[in-house]
Amino acid sequence: MAVERTEELTLNMGPQHPSMHGVFRMVVHFDGEIVTKIEPKVGYLHRGLEKLAESRTYPQFIPYTDRLDYLASPHNNLAYVQTVEKLMGLQIPERAEYLRVIFAELARIASHLVFIASMALDIAGWTAWAYCFRDRERILDMFEMTAGSRLTVNIMRIGGLSGEPPTEFWPALKSFLDDLPEMLEEYFGIFYGNEITQARLKGIGILSKELAENLSITGPVLRASGANYDVRKAEPYGIYDRFDFNVPVRYGCDSYDRTLLRLDEIIESAKIIRQAMRDIPEGSVMAKVSKIIKPPVGEVYHRVENPKGELGFYIVSDGSPKPARLRIRSGTFINIQMLPIVALGWKMQDLIAIFATLDAVLGEVDK
Amino acid sequence: MGNKEMLRKRVDELATKVNGEVEESLGVLMLKVKGAYIIETLNGAKNFPEMPCDFLHDLTAVDLGNHFEVVYQLSSLRGPQILRVKGIVDRENPVIDSVTRIWQGANFLEREAYDMFGIEFKGHPNLRRIYLWDEFEGYPLRKDYATESVEQRAVVMPLKVGD
Amino acid sequence: MDALNQLPLNIAATIRSLFGDSHSIWADLTMNVINIILVIVLIVLAALILILLERKIAGWTSQRPGPNRLGPHGWFQTIADALKLLGKEDVTPAGADKFIFKIAPMILFALPMMTLAVIPYGKGMSPIDLDLGIVYFLAISAVSTLSLLMAGWSSNNKYSMLGGMRAVAQMISYEIPLIFSLLGVVMITQTFSLSKIVEAQSTVPFVVLQPLAFVIYLIAGIAEVNRAPFDLVEADQEVVAGPFTEYTGLRWGLFFLGEYGNMTAVAALTTTVFLGGWQGPAILPGYAWFFLKVGIIIFFQMWVRWTFPRIRIDHLMGLAWKVLLPLSILNILLTGLGIYIYDLVLRIGG
Repeated sequence: MAVERTEELTLNMGPQHPSMHGVFRMVVHFDGEIVTKIEPKVGYLHRGLEKLAESRTYPQFIPYTDRLDYLASPHNNLAYVQTVEKLMGLQIPERAEYLRVIFAELARIASHLVFIASMALDIAGWTAWAYCFRDRERILDMFEMTAGSRLTVNIMRIGGLSGEPPTEFWPALKSFLDDLPEMLEEYFGIFYGNEITQARLKGIGILSKELAENLSITGPVLRASGANYDVRKAEPYGIYDRFDFNVPVRYGCDSYDRTLLRLDEIIESAKIIRQAMRDIPEGSVMAKVSKIIKPPVGEVYHRVENPKGELGFYIVSDGSPKPARLRIRSGTFINIQMLPIVALGWKMQDLIAIFATLDAVLGEVDK
Repeated sequence: MGNKEMLRKRVDELATKVNGEVEESLGVLMLKVKGAYIIETLNGAKNFPEMPCDFLHDLTAVDLGNHFEVVYQLSSLRGPQILRVKGIVDRENPVIDSVTRIWQGANFLEREAYDMFGIEFKGHPNLRRIYLWDEFEGYPLRKDYATESVEQRAVVMPLKVGD
Repeated sequence: MDALNQLPLNIAATIRSLFGDSHSIWADLTMNVINIILVIVLIVLAALILILLERKIAGWTSQRPGPNRLGPHGWFQTIADALKLLGKEDVTPAGADKFIFKIAPMILFALPMMTLAVIPYGKGMSPIDLDLGIVYFLAISAVSTLSLLMAGWSSNNKYSMLGGMRAVAQMISYEIPLIFSLLGVVMITQTFSLSKIVEAQSTVPFVVLQPLAFVIYLIAGIAEVNRAPFDLVEADQEVVAGPFTEYTGLRWGLFFLGEYGNMTAVAALTTTVFLGGWQGPAILPGYAWFFLKVGIIIFFQMWVRWTFPRIRIDHLMGLAWKVLLPLSILNILLTGLGIYIYDLVLRIGG
């Protein structure tokens, strides 16, 4: 007599799969619909940025940083140029500092809008997706009118910014900030407040604070696990110590809190931008920097709070115009490590939702 | 005693214990030790009284020509302390202990360092290439890695089913 | 108005009168062929219109224009898409079970043809007036599970397989509350015939007498046609496109037609059983009322689809077995009690 037996289903999700946020791949073992093992595989978008950096001059590498977390490119620029400036001991004009903050926080809002959109989309909330992209469009328009490009903005330079925003930038920014509360209310209505959303996300994918710390998780994922840690407060870079804002922390450790935390962060970012708009001085946006940038011999590790997690650059300079070693510490690359641990035992649909809460951008993961 | 001095004191104590040297670069303390002492060093740094450097930010390697340095960026979620630990690894026989037992988060980072520099992390649960494919030859971020032009490069990626 | 109302019947009578004996076998055969063609045309037209409608409603809910390039307001978009599908290469995967793979979309497309044939579109306008209309309808629509499982199994693709399995689990579970919710109406009317059920609603539609059953049917109906928030079968975020993953061109188009046909069929049955079918004030002909009500139900389904995220599979099963099924049994109990009390009142009064 034949013995009936069940078999685990090994499913290769990605690199071409609708909800793998690009070319992430994981080999998942299922017992029915229940996840028993996950092996993440990365590298399908690996471009060898760290190697490329060694044959580029310092300013030449700025456009490459746009391609890291391409949903928040000004923030990557910021991290990189500040690292080089720290290495050189360069002071940049006040106005440039303020503009950098404005652009970085706008990028954070844009990135979080895409997060909410893709989060909604990964649990099939199509309409919430459209709303978020509709509103993100306005930020991209602001980027476009300043830098000429929308996604890979490439706006920062070593010593300042590529240029002054045009006059129509300021009314656009103001009207966007004025409309923001209404937008957030709308997202809440269509997405966060929905019973199905809450049933799908609440209590799912628990990442305890201890585990998060042990896994070197950073960014909103860490803060949703109850850790009050934000580089903007812990080690303020640029002029972030001048602004009055809170670090949103949530204690649910689940997918829902990770999702909701992004909404809180948008509110805080808007606060920062308003203060920056109020205080911004007149002046030039570019410091005097020599044509050939040769930082002194030394090494520096500088980190910023990227929307996805902590983005750090570690540069070892040998005094030449090209870095001897440039290391990119990208947030989501490390955050992804939680997936095989946290998503075990949940359903296939939860796996997709938990992965979505990581807000992985493969440009950053694969470097 | 300010935070900085206290950290300096702790690092000095640790340095004498593990036979390392302390430097300062742009305001950040660096502790350079032999690769063999790395676990002891990091365990010590993690358990500094009052100011533990218990959060691993980054782990990477640097090729310095005659030897490698494995660089650990440490800090804490509960204080301003920042410490950079460097483990010196021999170039001919690049082996160092894995810190995955201290920080699970080092898993991918060590795999990446292995992928790019060929440094073997002893005790790593799954030390395989992470970005490049398993059959890739050479370690790209080593300074002696020769980058071919596009024309010379004949990349053939074997298709493996079930990998 | 009366002439307009009777127009289809008059046309049918004229066609029959072309034959010597208007009830000869040839006349019946001709009428049947015409009816079949009409039902197919109905499905294809419905699919064309509904796809456009769906995209327009999706655009409307998410505040974007939707298709707007081809023709006035993009009305010809689906025609262009259909033509494109016709021109696509028909790919059968190498490892597929070819016969089952090819027959699965045909089965799914055949089902709405069979179910829509028994619906009374107007007074005396059922293509086939069966005495056991409801039973027939439910029996046929249950076969769509099989079609999806066949497609999922034969594609030799794990995503398809998962989708097919989900289809079986979901559709068999929802079949039960779906059927139970109709039983209340059957108990009141004492008949399975759809046209008699419609006639019984000449004074008051059953949605008033059976509100609970109506809601259960509406929910279970959406689950039965695999539409959001119950679209786990073709959940593209998880199982890519479920059973349809490997299908291309016209075969995929047949699935699409079948899906929209099934959606129309479920809406048509809702209209017939709960909303009084073709009954309505005489300002419009009966069939117009019928299609208007069907349209409202379909609009509701689309509205739900573009508003809600997808439910999780264990919640889905929980909803069927722990909520809808007990409620539908409660509904049967209440209906029985109501009928008993009504009879008692009649007997005392009379």
